[in-house]
Amino acid sequence: MAYVSMGEAHRRITDYLNRFSDAVSYQDGSSLKRLLAVSSDSPSLLSLSDALNVFQDASRLIKQFDKYSQFGEILVPLFRSLQNYRLGHLVESYQSFEKSSNAFIQEFRNWESAWALDALYVIAYEIRVLAERADRELASMGKIPEKLKGAGSFLMKVFGVLAGKGPKRVGALYVTCQLFKIYFKLGTVHLCRSVIRSIETARIFDFEEFPVRDKVTYMYYTGRLEVFNENFPAADHKLSYALTYCNPRSEANIRMILKYLIPVKLSIGILPEISLLEKYNLVEYSNVIQAMRRGDLRLLRQALQEHEDQFLRSGVYLVLEKLELQVYQRLIKKIYIIQKQKDPSKAHQIKLEVIVKALKWLEMDMDVDEVECIMSILIYKNLMKGYFAHKSKVVVLSKQDPFPKLNGKPVNS
Amino acid sequence: MATEPKAATEEAKIDLFEDDDEFEEFEINQEWEDKEEGKEATQQWEDDWDDDDVNDDFSLQLRRELENNTMEKK
Repeated sequence: MAYVSMGEAHRRITDYLNRFSDAVSYQDGSSLKRLLAVSSDSPSLLSLSDALNVFQDASRLIKQFDKYSQFGEILVPLFRSLQNYRLGHLVESYQSFEKSSNAFIQEFRNWESAWALDALYVIAYEIRVLAERADRELASMGKIPEKLKGAGSFLMKVFGVLAGKGPKRVGALYVTCQLFKIYFKLGTVHLCRSVIRSIETARIFDFEEFPVRDKVTYMYYTGRLEVFNENFPAADHKLSYALTYCNPRSEANIRMILKYLIPVKLSIGILPEISLLEKYNLVEYSNVIQAMRRGDLRLLRQALQEHEDQFLRSGVYLVLEKLELQVYQRLIKKIYIIQKQKDPSKAHQIKLEVIVKALKWLEMDMDVDEVECIMSILIYKNLMKGYFAHKSKVVVLSKQDPFPKLNGKPVNS
Repeated sequence: MATEPKAATEEAKIDLFEDDDEFEEFEINQEWEDKEEGKEATQQWEDDWDDDDVNDDFSLQLRRELENNTMEKK
């Protein structure tokens, strides 16, 4: 921490206070927001924090003049938050920031136009980030981390403030996205439901009016939720939207969208090109895709095993495992085509023992009964058209379109 | 492995709260153009890959395997 003289400290603090009150007087949201970004490590806030730690009694300064004291409830805890942040006391920093933000919201409510939305966005972001750091500090001390949860409650309140008819309502989606990040981090994704319902059904909101960056983020998270719930058409729609409108230069975000979109596309029979996987380093899917192209059940199993941890962590393991039926379809189709090339008249009848043989070759030891069961499932789910002649142990395929394509729809459940 | 058990449990607690795939924040008021490169990612999908071609290695091996019906290699 740099040495600061008392005089210099006083100057820096007064300077900040003037900038704050001017920003509010002139409704200058862009200046105001810079004054609130506690975790940003901006040079001006760092130098202010040093000054505060030297001066120690900034509250007295604040109370001296009306133009500062009217914002005392915001400024006093904000200063405390900055000081504590600088000293690495993250729990205290968060607590003070929350107090300051509560006071900020009260003022914000009274400001009629949406001039302070940018500042509000900073508040929303800082609340989350400071809470995360506070929780890390709590965890490292062996205490229960509960600040992030508290930040979630605070943001729900902020959401309520924005959910009105006025121009401030376009800020609601940003706050929603901060909430998503919190809920996903805490693993309490069921809490997303109520904000989603508000955004999607409340008449005051028109989705198209929200800024594109928030719409993209929103569709990414709601798309992920659809993946968890195995609503593949909805997941496809949302994640594709996010992909289409995402900043082309945000490679990390594009990669994340694709990480979830690829399993969804595979489930509806659409394959990404290898170049896409390579560009965004999603090569863990390469063998899964190769297995689908070939009808190679062994390769699918290998691929799932090799990247099991990764797939489990992201929650796509079950989605990929279910691709097995499509791979069976492809394998049987190949057997059919091979038979057709040898003897077109008999091709539509496939002996079960032939399939058993192929599966054995792919290191899948199944008896005739198990294979019969799988064939029945394929027929039931409309991946194969035909019937199973049980006595003769033959699959009799329909002469027309025996292996219907998914056509962008998931396998019948 | 036994040297720092305390650190390991601390890390384990911290690991509790993670989302590997947290979306990065976009800049506030950032506008971007739908550049051509951006469109690229949305266009690299195939829906007509499920063809009748059985000339690839896998299919040839499959064919050989199926034709092996009288030869029992013991």
